[in-house]
Amino acid sequence: MSPEDHPKTDFAAYVAKQALAESHPYALDDDARIAVVGGGPTGSFFSIFALKLAKMLDKKLNITIYDPKNFTKDGPAGCNKCAGIISELLVQTLAVEGINLPDSVVWKGINSYQLHTTKGSVSIATPSFENTIAAVYRGGGPKGIIGEHKESFDDFLMGQAIKEGAEHVPRKIQRIEYENGKPVLFSQGGEIEQADLVVGAVGVNSGKSGIFPDMGFGYEEPQTVKAAITEISFDEEIITEHFGNSVHLFLLPIKNLKFAAMIPKVTYLTLCILGHDLNADTVRDFLAYPVVKEVLPKSVGYKLNCRCLPKMNIRAPKVPFTDRVVMCGDAGSTRLFKDGLGAAYIMGKAAANTAVLHGVSKQDFQEHYYPVYKNIIVDNQFGNYLYFLADLYKNYGLLTRWMLQIVREEQSDPEDPKRLSSVLWNMFTGNERFKNIFATAVSLPVRFDLWKAFARTLVIRR
Amino acid sequence: MRESELGRHYADGEIIFKEGDKGDVMYVIQSGKVKISKNSSSGDIKMTTLQQGDIFGEMALFDKLPRSASATAEGDTRILSIDKKKLFSTIWKDPTVVLKVIETMSGTIRRLSRDFAELKKKKQSMLCGTMDLEETCSFILEEARENVVTAENGSIMLIEQEKDQLYITAAFGEQAQKKLELAVGEGVAGDVIETGKAELINDVLTDERYKIGSLEIGSLLCVPFKYQGKCFGVLNLSSRNGNRFTLDNLQLLNSFSRYAGIALKNVLCMSDLKHATDAVLSHASILDGFQPLG
Repeated sequence: MSPEDHPKTDFAAYVAKQALAESHPYALDDDARIAVVGGGPTGSFFSIFALKLAKMLDKKLNITIYDPKNFTKDGPAGCNKCAGIISELLVQTLAVEGINLPDSVVWKGINSYQLHTTKGSVSIATPSFENTIAAVYRGGGPKGIIGEHKESFDDFLMGQAIKEGAEHVPRKIQRIEYENGKPVLFSQGGEIEQADLVVGAVGVNSGKSGIFPDMGFGYEEPQTVKAAITEISFDEEIITEHFGNSVHLFLLPIKNLKFAAMIPKVTYLTLCILGHDLNADTVRDFLAYPVVKEVLPKSVGYKLNCRCLPKMNIRAPKVPFTDRVVMCGDAGSTRLFKDGLGAAYIMGKAAANTAVLHGVSKQDFQEHYYPVYKNIIVDNQFGNYLYFLADLYKNYGLLTRWMLQIVREEQSDPEDPKRLSSVLWNMFTGNERFKNIFATAVSLPVRFDLWKAFARTLVIRR
Repeated sequence: MRESELGRHYADGEIIFKEGDKGDVMYVIQSGKVKISKNSSSGDIKMTTLQQGDIFGEMALFDKLPRSASATAEGDTRILSIDKKKLFSTIWKDPTVVLKVIETMSGTIRRLSRDFAELKKKKQSMLCGTMDLEETCSFILEEARENVVTAENGSIMLIEQEKDQLYITAAFGEQAQKKLELAVGEGVAGDVIETGKAELINDVLTDERYKIGSLEIGSLLCVPFKYQGKCFGVLNLSSRNGNRFTLDNLQLLNSFSRYAGIALKNVLCMSDLKHATDAVLSHASILDGFQPLG
């Protein structure tokens, strides 16, 4: 591109861009080509924010999203194997960014959590008393759901990326090789394109992540555990009357189970069980558990539709980038056992900001992307402590009782600061970083409340 | 509220926040419209109407001052609130989150700058007495439509003294295309000039006085402009639909016309004065041209 291509008024911008390109060979030039491998939320978020930022800087980017999946299809063909909860924080942040979730994407607006334990249940409402959490389907929904006039979340996000200027190519990338210092993408038919940057947004369940370890820059697939997700179908009236606009959360002393959630979605209830060594029998055993049977509507039949055991990232890879390649979302670092979509937004945007504002060298990603990446890893350490505390509370009946007692008192008093309620709310909704939740959980007031509950139990026993 | 909707519903006319309230929440419109208005000694002044996707209430978050205006739902509206603490925590981690908010604020500043420049121009014109008759009439009509009674069509008709006829000086809507002239006593406007009484007609076609033209109207408000008890013009607001206006609308428009009439008469007097001055000056220049006989 020459100065003649620019109007006179843009000459200064042209000179500045040329100077930046000369001083930094890894800066993205005008007309730079970016290949995003994976069209899930991470890939779409990256594309949306890279294109928005580039437009603001008067720069043109060519972004192509490669994903053979059609997210409008129902059943496994369009599914991205996820519980489909968009946290209050992400709903609000996206709205501030100008991405408002339409009704056609939201299957249920959630305004409260019902916590179920062996010692009883308690309801925790959103602080704003609004429907602030969105229950969505990542694909077209369970098999046979066509006709509900709803949109897939992943398809909606990809639509936003296309609106910003990205192109979707429904092809599967087979391998990536470097040629003259730039990555070249190959599909079954041969070479597709040489890119200035490749974004690996392949998740952990697409079976495509193998192409990145093969590139030889040190990337290894993340360590994973299996979750169990099942779609239970009911009549719409049953879902509305029985489950309302609440996510039902289970903290039960079942071996290997961290927690489970039932998320209502029009005519389905998405059951998501998280833990270690889960298998095909996990769902059956869980549904037979007395506390769970109490929650499910009695004398009403239900049908288990889709079932899957998707992998969940529990340990991020150590080398998530190199020159002109960056790994994002579940294929990189994500939040432990919750808010995968929130992490997709954070990491997709961090990669986009780095690429557009700084450059695409290993050094650029080390300086500007890695701090965000590492923040999530460090935060997950606090998450491990919190899940350990949650294990104690669910496994020891006395602790379970104290916890319920405090939360009930907090919820019944409008003036109460609701410390323990907020710990539980934030822990399972993805509203807050684990570090901050941990700080509140071990704070003096919460410990004082627990001792108060302990003393009360002693008095009652005597 | 439908099961799949996010945020909170507000009914038509429901107040979201009032001017002077403490503000620690920002809002994003999910569906419907929101009116932003400011209190003044002469009542509520509508600043703007916001649409789906627009952000409002952001100023109080950043300047920590009470709300600078009121926000009211226009029709059934759904709004998502954004918590200040959470937003600030997100901004701390990723400052680019506020680019859209900055864009909104820039838009507001641009709109206000434009409005301010227009107001200043109008004020200067008024102070200098240079505003011409048509400009004043257009200004009065705009004020009537924006802040008094909403209507599809409107016009101001003034009496041309020599011909004893009413003619349109300024108009909007379909009336802007018409070149209607009426004799005093003719039509509804002519009758209002004669009687000096404001009229509300909610079924215009059944009114014998109405002169049927190409403009199809169902409801009409017609109020006189008076000076020292004498009518010199009328203000018409009309709608295609019947039963569109209320007695409250009539009273409000009549009160407005009293003050607007004074402004209009001032401009007419200024115009007469200017014509008289021009005539005197032109005579003076003719006299200057004569050479003294000597």
